[in-house]
Amino acid sequence: MKNPNQKLAVAVDDLTVAYNYKPVLWDIDLAIPEGVLMAIVGPNGAGKSTLIKAILGILDPIAGSVQIYGKPYDKQRKLVAYVPQKGSVDWDFPTTAVDVVTMGTYGSLGWIKRPGRKEKKAALEALEKVGMLAFKDRQISQLSGGQQQRVFLARALVQDASIYFMDEPFQGVDATTEIAIINILKELRKKGKTVIVVHHDLQTVPEYFDWVTFLNVKKIATGPVKDIFNDDNLTKTYGINYKVSVQK
Amino acid sequence: MSSAQIEIQLIASLVAIACAIPGTFLVLRKMALISDAISHSILPGLVLGFFITQDLSSPWLIVMAALSGVVTVILVEYIQKTNLVKEDTAIGLVFPTMFSIGVILIAKNANDVHLDIDVVLLGELAFTPFDRMMVGDVDLGPKSLWVIGIILSSTIGLLIAFFKELKISTFDKGLATTLGFSPAIIHYGLMSVASVTTVGAFDAVGAILVVALMIAPAATAYLLTTDLKKMLGLAMIFGVFSAIVGYWLAHYLDASISGSMTTILGLLFLLVYLIAPGKGLIAVLYRNKQQRIEVSLLTFLLHLNNHSEIEERHINHLNEHINWRKVRAKFVVDLALKNNMVTIDEDIISLTEKGRIFTEKAINYIISNDPTEIEAIKEDFFLFRG
Ligand SMILES: Nc1ncnc2c1ncn2[C@@H]1O[C@H](COP(=O)(O)OP(=O)(O)O)[C@@H](O)[C@H]1O
Ligand SMILES: [Mg+2]
Repeated sequence: MKNPNQKLAVAVDDLTVAYNYKPVLWDIDLAIPEGVLMAIVGPNGAGKSTLIKAILGILDPIAGSVQIYGKPYDKQRKLVAYVPQKGSVDWDFPTTAVDVVTMGTYGSLGWIKRPGRKEKKAALEALEKVGMLAFKDRQISQLSGGQQQRVFLARALVQDASIYFMDEPFQGVDATTEIAIINILKELRKKGKTVIVVHHDLQTVPEYFDWVTFLNVKKIATGPVKDIFNDDNLTKTYGINYKVSVQK
Repeated sequence: MSSAQIEIQLIASLVAIACAIPGTFLVLRKMALISDAISHSILPGLVLGFFITQDLSSPWLIVMAALSGVVTVILVEYIQKTNLVKEDTAIGLVFPTMFSIGVILIAKNANDVHLDIDVVLLGELAFTPFDRMMVGDVDLGPKSLWVIGIILSSTIGLLIAFFKELKISTFDKGLATTLGFSPAIIHYGLMSVASVTTVGAFDAVGAILVVALMIAPAATAYLLTTDLKKMLGLAMIFGVFSAIVGYWLAHYLDASISGSMTTILGLLFLLVYLIAPGKGLIAVLYRNKQQRIEVSLLTFLLHLNNHSEIEERHINHLNEHINWRKVRAKFVVDLALKNNMVTIDEDIISLTEKGRIFTEKAINYIISNDPTEIEAIKEDFFLFRG
C-alpha cells in the first residue's frame, strides 16, 4: 500500500487522547508519508480536531507518541504550520490582516526578538499569494468568512513549514475561495510539502486529495484515495449504510 | 500647586500607567473579573507577610501579597477545571474566601497594627506624600512613588521584551503553543505582574481604584482602536487623565480622591461608549438608519430599472407599488434626486445614466456576493460605505 522508500512526515503510535479522563480518541496509529495531500474525514465529534491538536502538542495525550520526521514535535516545531478551526480565535481582537500573518513568523524569531522588515515583507508576500493584499490593514472581524480563512492560510504559508495542518479550511467559504485555497494546497504538495486537511465535503475528496484517513474515535482506515475511498470505509466511518454518491 | 499635590498626582498617574498595561491584556483575555479577585485576595498575603517580618514596610509584604494573588488565580483555574462551575462562579467562590481569611487574621492577631479594612478598600492617596523615603537625612520623595516607580519600570521592561509573546498568546493560544511560546508561562507571568501591580498600587489607591484603573481605561481604549499598541497607549492616557481630573474633582468637592477618580473613569467610558466612531452606540444607530435608507433607495431604483411603463413610474403609484408610507417615499425620491440618479418629468420618474449604472453594479454585487466587487464600487457610490 505504501511505498517503503518514502519518508514518513508524521508517525502517530498508539495515541489515546482524553478530555477530563474521557477518551475521545482510542489507540490511533497513523503513518503519513511525505508529500501527500491528505484529507481527514469523519462525522462531527469524531475527534478530527482533537487528533491534530494532540499531534501539535496543544493537547497532552494520555498514551502514545507522535513523531515528526522521526523526532518528537518539540524538536521539529519549525517544520510544522497549523491553521486552526475558525472558532478558535477572538475575531474582535485589535489586530489587522497583515499583523495576523506576521504572527506566522514569530516561531522562527523565537522569544523576545521582534519582527522586522524581513518578516513584514514575507507577510505581505503571503497575503499577495492568497489574494488578500488589498485588505492588509483591515481589522479581522471586518473580513468575510472566506477572507478570514485566506488570512489564516497566509499565516501558515509565511511559516514556510514542511508539514501543514488545516482544520476545516473550507468551512463557510464561497466556491471561489475554496478553489483558490485548494490550488495553493496543491502547489504546496508540488513543492514536496505534506498537507493534512480536516475535510467535510465527501464529494470533493477524490478531486482534491491523494491520501485519506477515515476517523471516528478510532482510526478506520488510512491510505491512497484511489485504494481506500470506498463505500465500505464510508459506511464504517459514518455508521449509516453509505451508497456511493461519490464518483471517482 | 503644593509639592504634596504634585506628588499625589504623580503617584496616581504612575499607578494608572502601571495598571493600564496588565489591564489591557486582562480585558482582551476577557478576564476583567480576575483583577477584582486578585485585588481582594492579596490581603491574607499581606497579613502573613507582616507576621513573618513584623515590619509593615518590608518588601516581603509585597512578595507575599503578590504570591497570594497568583494563588488565587491558580485556585480559580483549578475549580474551573473540575467543570462543576463556570469561571465567574469560581472567582466568586475564591476571592471572598481569601479576603475574609485576611480579615479574620487581622482581627485575631493584628489588632494593634495599622491595617485598616477601609484603607485596604479605598486607599489613602492623600497621605502618601507623608510617608517619605529617607536615606540618612536625605529625603528622596514619597515611598509610594518609589514602590510604584519600580513596579512600573519593570512592567514596561517586561512589556517591551514580551510584547509579541503576549499578543500571540492572547490572540491565538493554539498558534502560540505550536510555535513554542508556552501560553501557560505567559499567562502566569501576566498574572504575577497584575498581582504585583495591584499590591504596589493599592497601598496608595485602594483595591477598588486598582480594579477600576486596570479595567476601565483598557475597556474605553478597546472601543476606539484596532491596533493593540494604540490600545495600550490610549489606556495609559485615559488612566492618567482620569487620575488627574479625578484628583482635582476631589479637591473642589472635598470628596474621596479614589472615589472621584473612579467616577471620572466611569464617565469617560460612558462618553466614549456613546460617541466612539464605529463601535460606539451613536455610530451603530446611525449606521443602522443609514443602511435602512440605502436599502430603500436600492429597492426604489430596482423598481424603476425593471419597469419602463409610464404608469409604474408615476410618482403617485410609488406608494402603492413599493408599499411605503408617504414620508419615506418622499425621502427616498429626494435622496435619489440629490444624487442625480433619477429625474422627474411631469410626475414621471426616470433613471439617469448614473442611476442605471449604479443599479446594475449593485445588482451584480448582490448576485455574485463577491466582496472584492464591493471594493470597486464603494468609492464611487455612497450606498456601500462602511
Ligand atoms: N475542550 C473539550 N472538553 C471536553 N470535550 C471536548 C472538548 N473538545 C472536544 N471535546 C469532545 O471530544 C470529541 C471530539 O471533538 P473534536 O475533536 O472537536 O471533533 P471533530 O473535530 O471531529 O468534530 C467530541 O465528542 C467533543 O464533544
Ligand atoms: Mg473539529
